[in-house]
Amino acid sequence: MKRIIIFLGTITLALTMFVSCYYDNEEALYPSFNTTCDTTNVTFSVTIVSVLNNNCYSCHSNATATSTGSNIPLENYADVVTMSARIIGSVKHIGSFSPMPKNGGKLKACSINQLDIWIRNGMLNN
Amino acid sequence: MKRLPLAILFFLVPSWIFAQDDLMNLLDQNDPKEINFTTATFKSTRILNGHSIEKMAPGQLDFRISHRFGRINSGAYNFYGLDQSNVHFSLEYGILKWLMVGIGRGTYEKTFDGSAKFTVLRQSTGARIMPISLSIFSSVALKTLKPNDPTITNYFSSRLSYVGQALIARKINQSFSIQISPTYVHRNLVATELDPNDLLSIGAGGRMKLSKRVSLNAEYYYLANPKTYLSQKVYNPLSVGFDIETGGHVFQLFFTNSLAMIEKGFIGETTGTWTKADIHFGFNISRVFNLKKHKKPEIL
Repeated sequence: MKRIIIFLGTITLALTMFVSCYYDNEEALYPSFNTTCDTTNVTFSVTIVSVLNNNCYSCHSNATATSTGSNIPLENYADVVTMSARIIGSVKHIGSFSPMPKNGGKLKACSINQLDIWIRNGMLNN
Repeated sequence: MKRLPLAILFFLVPSWIFAQDDLMNLLDQNDPKEINFTTATFKSTRILNGHSIEKMAPGQLDFRISHRFGRINSGAYNFYGLDQSNVHFSLEYGILKWLMVGIGRGTYEKTFDGSAKFTVLRQSTGARIMPISLSIFSSVALKTLKPNDPTITNYFSSRLSYVGQALIARKINQSFSIQISPTYVHRNLVATELDPNDLLSIGAGGRMKLSKRVSLNAEYYYLANPKTYLSQKVYNPLSVGFDIETGGHVFQLFFTNSLAMIEKGFIGETTGTWTKADIHFGFNISRVFNLKKHKKPEIL
């Protein structure tokens, strides 16, 4: 009897969990993701720093780089310029570059595009 | 009238004594009326990445520490991936003969997970012949990694994913076991419209004993969803390695192309491939604690 009760209880619990299933995707849930990819007005101080800030500085800030970021700080303009080729290789998960970010997943396509555009435009400190 | 049962008892006593002898004899002859359950189909609760049909016995707590290092092809500077490590800790406890529950926390997307494994069928010979063992595994994972864009509303539901697995295994002989694991993974939030929320996969794994303490394991999950339109290029995870048993500990040392240690991650989000040497070295260490001291541990 006890066994049946526990079994039914667990099944019910499992089912309630599945009832709360959602079929969401980021494009539909956050429409701003599609519309606001600004590729014309890409600047270091606004666009690039915010991409780096959202994705990289938990390991690659000046304070954390030596311990968690393989000694590659990405806070200063000069450091980013020096590392630009490796940044692009890593975020695009190309060949022998160490894929980034490390905790799984890839950057949003928009952020990768913006990094690409900034590099192609000559990596200005604007 | 009252004396009658007593009288019967008296008559029975000698026959009991003889009967006991008979019982001992029968035990020696391995009575076919008993059910002989197959034990130790696998050495631990994981084949390598995925779950095996094995569970903890009631009152036993399994503390697991798992690591997956970086990619081997990341070069000598990164010590072939060993500079970077992903960790997964878990505690799994056997509540009943047929129920095990577990909790865990992993580096991959900073995920917490809770799981339950139910035994449905146990492979047996003798009085009841059952050719396979069947367990049902179910787990919920909560991703706590902050989103790329901190300004968006990060819904709680978006961070959940679910796994349902039927684990079907057969110990073919003393040294060889196989398992088939049809798997369903549901992700509440995916990146684009073309990415499926539901993933269907079938896993196959096996174990071959090389010696008393060492066995060779391999495991492969085939993802049935078409991989053409996914926003991220994913591959089927393949893992090959060894189980090494030292009294009380089970070490699993292996190579795999997946970084994650939970089903949602290694089935649906394996971005590395063996053909480009995107291989991770990994290990699981399992230490079993017996929390019920007064009872003899039962081997399931």
